[in-house]
Amino acid sequence: MNFFRFLAFLVAIAALHAAEPVDVLVQGAEKPEIEDLIAALQPNAEKIAIGPFSFWVGKIGRHRVAVSLTGQALINCTTSTIIGIEEFKPRLIINQGTSGAQAPFLGLHDIIVDTRAVDYGIFTTRERRAGEGSATTHWIPSPQRIRDPISHQLVAPPAGFDGDMAAIAIALRTRNPMGRVFRGVIGSAHEINLELDRVRWSHETFGMDVEEMESAHVAAIAFAYGIRCVSFRVVSDAPYEGIPFYPLAARATALFSVNFLENLSDLPASPAR
Amino acid sequence: MKLLLFLGVLATASTQVWGAKPVDVMLVAADEAALAPVLDHLKNAQVETHAAWTLWTGTIDGKQAVVTRSEGDPLNAVAATTLVLRNYQPRLIFVFGTARPHDLSLEKGTVVVSTEFVAFDGMMSPAAELGKGTHPLEWSKLPHPLMTAGEKEVWTESFPADAHARDIALTLNRADRHVVGGVLGSAAQVNREVDRIAYLRSQWHTSTEDEESAHIAGCAALFAIPIIGARIVNGTPTTAGEFALEFLSHWK
Repeated sequence: MNFFRFLAFLVAIAALHAAEPVDVLVQGAEKPEIEDLIAALQPNAEKIAIGPFSFWVGKIGRHRVAVSLTGQALINCTTSTIIGIEEFKPRLIINQGTSGAQAPFLGLHDIIVDTRAVDYGIFTTRERRAGEGSATTHWIPSPQRIRDPISHQLVAPPAGFDGDMAAIAIALRTRNPMGRVFRGVIGSAHEINLELDRVRWSHETFGMDVEEMESAHVAAIAFAYGIRCVSFRVVSDAPYEGIPFYPLAARATALFSVNFLENLSDLPASPAR
Repeated sequence: MKLLLFLGVLATASTQVWGAKPVDVMLVAADEAALAPVLDHLKNAQVETHAAWTLWTGTIDGKQAVVTRSEGDPLNAVAATTLVLRNYQPRLIFVFGTARPHDLSLEKGTVVVSTEFVAFDGMMSPAAELGKGTHPLEWSKLPHPLMTAGEKEVWTESFPADAHARDIALTLNRADRHVVGGVLGSAAQVNREVDRIAYLRSQWHTSTEDEESAHIAGCAALFAIPIIGARIVNGTPTTAGEFALEFLSHWK
């Protein structure tokens, strides 16, 4: 075996194993949510394709970072999160992107840092006979269940999954170049709600400040793996103000996430339980 | 030439290997009750735990099998499926269990074999001011986007079922058990409003509802893995597990 063939063999063997671990996995569902993050990766960033999912690996600040394009909603984001964790063994996951305001005080470009993320799409309806219609505000919500990684028992945190406190503290000291920053509750489901009575109901029932399609699913998976997780969601549409979806708002969370990573000091591997 | 070979390998080194261990079939159901008949027949069983999810490997009827538990909800179902697909390369996924009928002509105990799958949890409401109420029977359906190569999402209303496996499953009709083809729908919902069930059926053409099958099919579609599903209408989990074993004995 000559030198080149031997070198090629070594590279091929390396490809059979998981990628080098990263400190932080930063996710966005759509390209506008990750473009500024990819641009911030220092030179020599590597693109890694796993199935249909793409990851860009490099450094932001002092941290080795994998930027992940998850795709929207539960099927895409659950699959890509499992892949991201298994391949890159991150110590912190940041899920960030756009959202619809549910709290009336929020305006375009405001960012919510999640104290908790809740799946608000799980429910049982009450029994109604034919002709009695459908009454959404009578549906009975259920929390997302997940097995505790230590006890292996199914648990169902009734209010959802908490954001990592150490990451939240840093995020609240981080600059949003386009708007304000609040701590709050992020709700996830495969829904786009524009009926203000239902928006108000879910705000009152779940405490949600914004709605989107991924954060709570990612938070549940991070819980299962015992990995720190935090979500940043910029308001990209505000039904109380009649503001339709404004995709460029995505830049606010991407730039905010870059600022956050620049501010982020080293974190212990696992969150306190 | 040698340099080109080296550069070519370097270029492909950034694509990670997927499903390194080929197996014949992945079997997935919501809980221990449905899995029990299958696990009882799993020979040389080994257990793997990945965070919250468990994979059992072994052989059934001489076929290499991976068994996993979906916990009966979309998130756990997709997570467990992804872990199986990352570590194994099944020729077929078989998802099975019980279901509630959307087609009200389906009789208790009927086995509905997937002609296709729909994840019917997606909705979009029209804009309405405060005080105008909420009108769920007027909502639009919102399909799931699936990520594809080239970083493009494709909005997908239904996920395909494997035709060969479906045809085999449909031959398992018996005098005391009807087996029919139908659309398996799933969402993290238990729908008991008759008008809503009719609305869902009109929108998505669902035969039944459960909490996992279509989401697993969506995950399978991301990686072009063939899938088949079978749900027992208002049946018992054990019956569903027994049907899975019967199917496996006929499937090559």
